[in-house]
Amino acid sequence: MKSHWHETIQRYVDGQSSAEEAAALLKGLNEDAELRALYLDYMNLDMALGAMADEAAVGENGSNRVTSLHEARVGSPPHYGRWTAAAAAALAVLVVFAMLPRGPKPLRTGHDVAAAITSAQVAIARLAFDTTSALPAWMSPTASLLEPPRVPE
Amino acid sequence: MPGLIDQQHDTFLRLFAEHEPAVRTFVRSLLPSRSDASEVMQEVAVVLWQKFAEFDASRDFRKWAFGVAHYEVLTYLRDQARDRHVFDDALVNRLADAAAAAEPRHDAQRDALEACLEKLPPAQRELVLCAYAKGTRIDGLAVQRGQTPMSLYKVLHRIRQALLECVQRQLAVEGPQ
Repeated sequence: MKSHWHETIQRYVDGQSSAEEAAALLKGLNEDAELRALYLDYMNLDMALGAMADEAAVGENGSNRVTSLHEARVGSPPHYGRWTAAAAAALAVLVVFAMLPRGPKPLRTGHDVAAAITSAQVAIARLAFDTTSALPAWMSPTASLLEPPRVPE
Repeated sequence: MPGLIDQQHDTFLRLFAEHEPAVRTFVRSLLPSRSDASEVMQEVAVVLWQKFAEFDASRDFRKWAFGVAHYEVLTYLRDQARDRHVFDDALVNRLADAAAAAEPRHDAQRDALEACLEKLPPAQRELVLCAYAKGTRIDGLAVQRGQTPMSLYKVLHRIRQALLECVQRQLAVEGPQ
């Protein structure tokens, strides 16, 4: 495995690739199983770091975020954060789907689902401001305000 | 049959809550950006619920959810086909197969990551978590630190590579997954 792929993959993940770099990476991913495995490991790392940052940052304001992040990591016993995040994620999922309509045809339209998810996001956002629970990105306060769910036609 | 519907509803909640992190990671693996993955994941959640009545309970929910997610990613990428630097169908299919096969390894890597983060110097740990915090813009963070965005990206790349090598070393010591 050539070491330059580490940098190439990360530039692509960060949206920093030139056209030539992106084309070379896509070609390599198509042809090289080992490169695909490395790429997937970086994507997994990217997801995991995002989840850890979310759980560390929820409830903090921007001005003391870095200090708070450090305190959140150092002050937490091992695995505490992950279990908190998992519990919060499960709770958020339960809230969303508990709000979906029940009946012989559980969903009449995509609009029902989107509305339920949006409502749940708002409800969860209110909860999130009062707790230190981390939430999945699509249920976060930011998502509820800035990025309404897409509605399937 | 309200009782049956309630039971179906509760079963879905339990299964989705259990497997959502794995499905999200699978979707992220097939898409080049976090925002794309977030958008597709919303669609996947909706479709899983809409099709849950057709789900055979004797089957593996996660595999079924991966299949639905795979299809939704392909649909999304076809809609984005104007961008020539996104994955084509053949590559998505290869990555989907590899991602499904790598799932136990990725679970173990996520478990190992916490210990590897703790091994980083505090300043690097704070930086990487800050860079990943929701709402953080790399250019803004670079200005705060008196760096150019390019130099900050390079620092982050070195930290991520160090983290990945750390989790890989740790899993190698623990044995095959």
